[in-house]
Amino acid sequence: MNLKNISKYVESSSKVIMTIIVFLFAVHILQIITVELSSEIYRMLTKTKRDLSAAEPTKQLSDAEKRLWRIHLSGKNFLPNGTIHLTSSKGRTPSRFDETEKIQIHDANDVLIWQGIKSENPYEYLTWSDQRFRPYTMYHQHFTDRRMNELQMITPEFSRVLEIPVGAQDGTVQVWRYLPGSDLFMGYRLDGSIIGFLGSTGLAHSKSEARPFGRFKLQSSWFPAGASEPTVLWQTSRRLYEINFQKQQVQLVFESPQANIKAVMLRECRPIDTQMQKEQKIKYRPTIRIGTEIKKQLLIMRNPEQKLTITFPDDRWSGALNFAATGEGVFLIHHDTEIRVPEAYLKSPELYQQWVSKHEGKPYKQWVELYKVDNQANFHLLNRYEWTVPREFGPKIRRKSFRLQVQRGAMAFSSPLYDLAWLLFGPVFFIQHSQGNDFVSGLISEIRPTNSLWCCLLSIAMVGIAFLHGWPRRTSWGKLIFWLAFTLVFNLAGLLTYLALNHTTVIKCPVCGRRRGLIQVNCVRCGAELPIPERRKTDLIFNT
Amino acid sequence: MRFSALLRKELRESLPWMLLAAIVFLAIGGFLLRQAQLGGWYDWSERYFSSRPTYGLQYRHSPLQPIGPVLLLTSLGLGLVLGVRHFWIPYFTRTWPFLIHRSVDRKTIFWAKLAAAIIAFLISLGAVWAAFYSYSCDPERFTMLPIKRVFIEGWLFVLLGLIVYLGTALTGLSKARWYTTKIFGLAFATVIICATIFEWRIGWAFAAIIIGAVILLSPIIDTISNREF
Repeated sequence: MNLKNISKYVESSSKVIMTIIVFLFAVHILQIITVELSSEIYRMLTKTKRDLSAAEPTKQLSDAEKRLWRIHLSGKNFLPNGTIHLTSSKGRTPSRFDETEKIQIHDANDVLIWQGIKSENPYEYLTWSDQRFRPYTMYHQHFTDRRMNELQMITPEFSRVLEIPVGAQDGTVQVWRYLPGSDLFMGYRLDGSIIGFLGSTGLAHSKSEARPFGRFKLQSSWFPAGASEPTVLWQTSRRLYEINFQKQQVQLVFESPQANIKAVMLRECRPIDTQMQKEQKIKYRPTIRIGTEIKKQLLIMRNPEQKLTITFPDDRWSGALNFAATGEGVFLIHHDTEIRVPEAYLKSPELYQQWVSKHEGKPYKQWVELYKVDNQANFHLLNRYEWTVPREFGPKIRRKSFRLQVQRGAMAFSSPLYDLAWLLFGPVFFIQHSQGNDFVSGLISEIRPTNSLWCCLLSIAMVGIAFLHGWPRRTSWGKLIFWLAFTLVFNLAGLLTYLALNHTTVIKCPVCGRRRGLIQVNCVRCGAELPIPERRKTDLIFNT
Repeated sequence: MRFSALLRKELRESLPWMLLAAIVFLAIGGFLLRQAQLGGWYDWSERYFSSRPTYGLQYRHSPLQPIGPVLLLTSLGLGLVLGVRHFWIPYFTRTWPFLIHRSVDRKTIFWAKLAAAIIAFLISLGAVWAAFYSYSCDPERFTMLPIKRVFIEGWLFVLLGLIVYLGTALTGLSKARWYTTKIFGLAFATVIICATIFEWRIGWAFAAIIIGAVILLSPIIDTISNREF
């Protein structure tokens, strides 16, 4: 194969790649326009109908049903001694925001024990740390790796840098700037001079001496007891560091050598308003809760220093519980239900649909349990409350909205390759990557043809069109088969690419009378050569 | 010798646009940078430490932030204008036949045009960008200095201009109709720009630009070597 042939192949493949990329984007833009435009038109057309139906009277509930609704919707609050109170809000008059919120408190037997203005509630309940302790959800108060990626995005205004300003003891100000490439902090003084580099082993005076922290995952500030300056809690894949920028110290708080850290959550680490602190009877301890991929959780508490490694009796507990470390002990609250969502629901939407169909429209039991955790991390049940969830609150099959139907129809024109990638890598991979600001993963999650049957049928139809077009124009079997396979793989974008790069004029063969392309000298059907034009008087060149 | 003669000719034709781009970028960019310096909004120490004990992370833009859009737009504009000047204007002035009937290979003509475009980008945008960066790196002018990554991102913007140049060249050379594949060169350049601007990994952004350039160069070379003018 000589250089000319190689360059010819490179040129042809470049054209194909360029055209398919452009068409994939064009098809995607058309899909978005179709979905948005049709849903907007549908919304406008159905607005009047919706307004009329909203004016119809709603169904009246019986007293027993009202009671079930109230119990289900009320807050299940525990006192430190384990007593449960059901707290329900009486609500405000619509559009009267100046009204004070009133509440009713019932005991476990549904006897009213107190009612009045919420702020005058005589009881102080245990409060729980953040509920969002799940691997794929965002932390609202912390700085995650997703936010870090957003900062580094090459926008027209350039990327941004993460900086931690620190007031030094001598009144000067320092700034510690995170260097994402080397996973280090670089310290500056106000005059621009460099203080040094902070890494996993502490302060170093040169970049080469400093050891990197590792791949960043999460950051949050942390106030040690009595300190006015915060230290920073810095989480990597397997380690958790406490960084005190003022003292220029780094301390390894936790290391998980065998498994990645799944989540880190803080409790009472931020400074509390002193007035509010005085009024509180329950004294909470600063707590860091760490979950790893091996289903173990670690509680690191202060005042006094204490570490507890907790193993759960059931793997699925870890997603529906919360801790509160107080002066009186460590408490654990656990919510559960008799109808649990299938564990593999992310991987199998069919399984999830089956589960919903089985329980739709049926009341079910739900319960909440309060445990006290001793110093050996054993659980002691303090109280348990069970109630019936009204059927209206049960799982519901998502009715196919118009938008969803249009979306599924439009995405059927996408390439089946997206579905293949989805199957190969799994939904968890794409969810994690798209949350980490990976553009391609987000795109694939959005535009993959979920309705595989329609997508396959459409792909076959595209192949049929390509075949009809290509048969009279074919120059070689290999080329025709390649383009048919290409169209099958890329669906509409594949067909458009094929047409863009292969369309030629056809003529009627003077011998067999059927259509034939002009690229091939011989007719693809009868083998006859192209007709020689008749000589005319004005022709200057004649065959001799 | 022939190449250098062609290069001089292309540079001579590109000179007005080079100068215009350099002046626009220098004037607007310089004004914005000076405003950022004089305005004092960048002096975070006063802003964040006057109300102690306020504490928080700062997601800081570089002092070169306002220059970014100017650099990007000027670069894209220069790419478009040079592409039009090198590959479209010869159609209108009917000078293609004069050019390709010189005793040089057609590819040499293309390389001379590309070299002229690269030089134009280096001088009119690259040099000015480097000057702005070094200006903002002086601690006496700005409290905090920009990081090296911003400098690299600026060069990415310059390279995006070259991608637009190649896209315009392919579109200009194509014999297809406007509503068919003729526009694909520019459309592909747009895709590469989007892929770069929404990326947060510098390496991936460079990879997208290099792959895009190779994909555009290959059909350009083939077209200029084989098409009739």
